[in-house]
Amino acid sequence: MLKDFLEVGKTLGNRFVRQWKEEGRQVVGFTCSYVPEEIIHAGGMLPFRMRGIGATSTSIADTYFGPVICSFPKCILQLAGEGKYDFLDGVILTPGCDSIRRVDECWRKAAEDTHGTFPPFRHYYGVPHKVTDYSLAWFVEETRKLIENLERHFNITITADDLRRAIGEYNRGRMLLTKLDGLRSRKKVPITGADATAVIIAANAMPRGIYNRLLEDFLDEMGRNRDGIKGRKRLLLAGSANDDVDLVRLIESSGGVMVADTLCFGSRSYMDLVEEDGDPVVAIARRYLSHKLCPRMFGAYRQRLAFMKERIRQAKVDGVILQNIRFCDMHGSENSLYERDLEALGVPCLKIEREYGPLVEEGRIKMRVDAFMESLPA
Amino acid sequence: MRKEYKEYDFDRMVQSIIHFASLAYDGTRKEAFGMFRYAPRFREAIETILMTGEPGVLLLKMIDKYLIEVLTAHERGKKIALCTFNFSPGVLKPLDVVPVCLEPVTTLGVMMWLRGLGEYLNYCCEIGFTETSCSAQRGALGAYLAGLGVKPDFVLCNSIGVCDTNATAFSFAAEYLGLPFYQLNAPPTLADDRAREYHRQDFRGLISFVEEQTGRKLDVECLREVIVETDRQDEIMCEIEDLMRLVPSPVPGIFNVFMYSAKYIYGGSKEATDVMSSMLKVARRNAAQARAGTTSGSEDARAFAVYVDHYSAQLRPWAWFDSKNISHLGCMMNGFWPVHAPYAEGELMDGTYRMDPSNEDTMIDSLADQMSRMPMVKQIRGPYDDPHQWLSDTMASIKTYKPDFCMYTGTIGCRNTWGAIKILARDTENLGIPTLILFGDAFDHRITSWESMRDRIDEFITVRGILK
Repeated sequence: MLKDFLEVGKTLGNRFVRQWKEEGRQVVGFTCSYVPEEIIHAGGMLPFRMRGIGATSTSIADTYFGPVICSFPKCILQLAGEGKYDFLDGVILTPGCDSIRRVDECWRKAAEDTHGTFPPFRHYYGVPHKVTDYSLAWFVEETRKLIENLERHFNITITADDLRRAIGEYNRGRMLLTKLDGLRSRKKVPITGADATAVIIAANAMPRGIYNRLLEDFLDEMGRNRDGIKGRKRLLLAGSANDDVDLVRLIESSGGVMVADTLCFGSRSYMDLVEEDGDPVVAIARRYLSHKLCPRMFGAYRQRLAFMKERIRQAKVDGVILQNIRFCDMHGSENSLYERDLEALGVPCLKIEREYGPLVEEGRIKMRVDAFMESLPA
Repeated sequence: MRKEYKEYDFDRMVQSIIHFASLAYDGTRKEAFGMFRYAPRFREAIETILMTGEPGVLLLKMIDKYLIEVLTAHERGKKIALCTFNFSPGVLKPLDVVPVCLEPVTTLGVMMWLRGLGEYLNYCCEIGFTETSCSAQRGALGAYLAGLGVKPDFVLCNSIGVCDTNATAFSFAAEYLGLPFYQLNAPPTLADDRAREYHRQDFRGLISFVEEQTGRKLDVECLREVIVETDRQDEIMCEIEDLMRLVPSPVPGIFNVFMYSAKYIYGGSKEATDVMSSMLKVARRNAAQARAGTTSGSEDARAFAVYVDHYSAQLRPWAWFDSKNISHLGCMMNGFWPVHAPYAEGELMDGTYRMDPSNEDTMIDSLADQMSRMPMVKQIRGPYDDPHQWLSDTMASIKTYKPDFCMYTGTIGCRNTWGAIKILARDTENLGIPTLILFGDAFDHRITSWESMRDRIDEFITVRGILK
C-alpha cells in the first residue's frame, strides 16, 4: 500500500490516472487547495491537484513568467509546456496567490505558442480573501457558477445527491487522514514524515474511493504495529506549498522525524469537514472559505497561530521548520511572526527560504537543518 | 538599522525638508535658486518640482500641510490610519481620521533623499519581511515599525485580492504593532452587479470599522463636500488627461507625479484641487501656444509606463525625459477611471465611476465605486485579458495617448505584474508599440541604479528608432 502512495506521491501521471483515462473518463486539474474537489468528483470526474514535481528546468516557464516569480507555479507551467499535463480535460484556476494565479495567462499563451496544450475546459474560480456574510454569498454563487460551467462543458448533471455523496466520501478521507495524524503523534512514530507526505499528497491525485480504501487498510495495518521510530527529534513543517517527498526526506536525514505539518498539500487540506446537512453547495462554500489556514486569508494570523500551536501540542513537536519558497512573501513574512510567537513559547524554530523543484539546494538546506537539529535541547 | 537613523523621526525629517523647500519660492526666484547650492542632497528633486512654477510650489505646500496634519494628529485628538496608496483619503475626512498613505510617504522619501530609504527597507527585513517584498511599502513602513514616526491607531488596506505583497505589508504591520485591521477585498471581476454589490458592502464595513475605532459617526455634510470636491478634481484631471492627447502634449511629464501625490494625499479636499487647477492652467497655456510640456517646448517622442513610474533617484527620470524632449504621458497610477476620463469609451464605460451627491447612500456608493477603480485595484485583480483588466486598460491608454513606446517598471515585490508583463509586452508590441521591460525597483535604487535603467531606455529608443 505504501508503495502505491509513494508512486502517486512522487510522480505526476500515476497509474491510477492512466487507468482512469483509459476508461474514457475525464480529469480536471486545479491549482490551489481552495478548489472543492467534491464538485469535480460529484460530476464523475477525477480532481487532480496540479504539481510541479519532476520538472528539471524552467526554460519554458521563464519565457512567459517574469523573473521574480515563485518557482512552484513556474514548475507547473514548465510541465504543462512540456505536455505533461495533456491528460487534463479541464482546469480550475484561482487567485490563490499572485504567482499561482498567473499560471492561467502564461499557460494559455504557452499553449498558443505550441508549448503543450491548454485543456479544453477552463474556469477561473474567484475565491474571496475574507469571511463575511457577503463574501460567503459571493462564494456560494461562484461555486454554483462552477457547477453550471462543468455541467455545460462536460454535458453532465451534478445533483444535490451527487454532491452529498461526494461530501461524504471526502469527509471520510479527511477523517482517515486525521487518524493518520493521531498515529504520527504516538511516542513511537509508525511512519516517517516523507512516507506520510506521500500518503497525504496521494489524496489529491487518485480516485478518492480507491484512496480511502487503501488508506483505511494502511491505517489498520499501521495501527496494529506497535513499533516505530523513537528517540528522534519530532519536527513540524510549515510554510509554502510542498509536494516534494524528497524535501521531507532530506530534512529527516538530519536525524529528525516529521510528525506534523501545516502545509496546503498536507494537513491544511483535510482540516475541517464539510457539513453534511442542508444545501450541499452552501456547505461546501462555507467549509472552503472559512478555512483560513492559508495566509491568503488576510487578517487571520491569530487563528493560524492557534492551529499551529494545537498541531505542536498534539504531535508533541520538538522543533518547527518554517520554510518559504523564494518570492512567497505571504508565507515568508508570516513565518517571521510564527518564529517570534512560537519561540516566545519555548518552541525552537528554523526559518528557511528555498527554491521549489529539484533539490538543487540540497547542501544548503541540509547544513541548516543539521545545525538546527544540533541546537534542539536534548 | 544604524544608530544615526534612529536619532530623528522619519516623517518629521521629510516634513522639514518639504517645509523649507516650500518656503523657497516665497522670496524671489534668484533667492530660491541661490539657496539650492546649500541643499545639495535635495537639490535635484526640489529643483525639478519648483521648475514648474506655481504648481510645484503649491504641491510642496500641500505636502507640507499634509505632513503637519499627520504629525499633529494625536495632539489634535484625531486618530491615524495607516493606509494603502490606492485609497480615497476623502472617506476619512468625514470620519475625522488622518491617513498615513504609506506609498506616497515612501515616494517622498525616495524622491528627496539622495541615499533613498535603504535603512528603513532593510529594517523591515530585519524584523521578518522577505527581502523580495514590496519596497513601496517597506520604505516608510520600516520607519513606522521601528517607532520612528507617528504611531498609527489602525490599519486600512485596499489591496487584498490585487497585490499579495502589498497586502502582506499591511497585515504584517497590524500584527506586529498590535493594531486593528480592516481589509477591502477585490473580487476578480469589476463591472458586474455582483462585484459592485460586493464592493459596496465591503466599503460600508470599512465605514463601520472606522466609526468603531474613533467612536464618531460619519459626518454626512462633510461627506457631501468631499463628493463635490472629488467631482471637481475629476473634471480637472480629465481635462489634463484630454490635453495629453495633443501632439505635442502640453502637459509637463512631472505633472504625473503631482497628480499622484495630490490624489492620494488629499483626494476630495480643496488642497488637491488647488494643485490640480494650477497644473491645468499651465497645460492650457502650453496648449494655446502649441507648445510641449517639456522645458524646451518641443516633443521628440511620447512615452507611457504600463504600470508604475520610477520614483527613486531624486526625480532624475523625469528630468532625463524632459532633457530628451520625451513627453512622459504617465502610467497606470494616474488612471482613476472617472466617468469623463478620455480613455473610457464604449464598453470601458462600465469600468468608470460617478460622484453622486444625492443622499448618504449614493455618496457612500460613489466612494465605494471610486475605491474599487483605484489604480491596481481596478485592473490587476483578475486575469490580465479579462474585461477592464490590465490589457484593456493599457490598450485604452495607448489608443488615447498614442505613445511611441511603452515601458514597464515595478518593484521586486510586484508578483502580480511580473507574472504577466512578458505576455502584455508581446501584445503591445503586436500593436506596433515598442515595449521595454526594465528590471529594477521603482522605490529602491539599490536593485538597479537609475543610471543603468536610463542607459537601457536610451539604447532602446535608439535601437528601435524612436528617437532619431
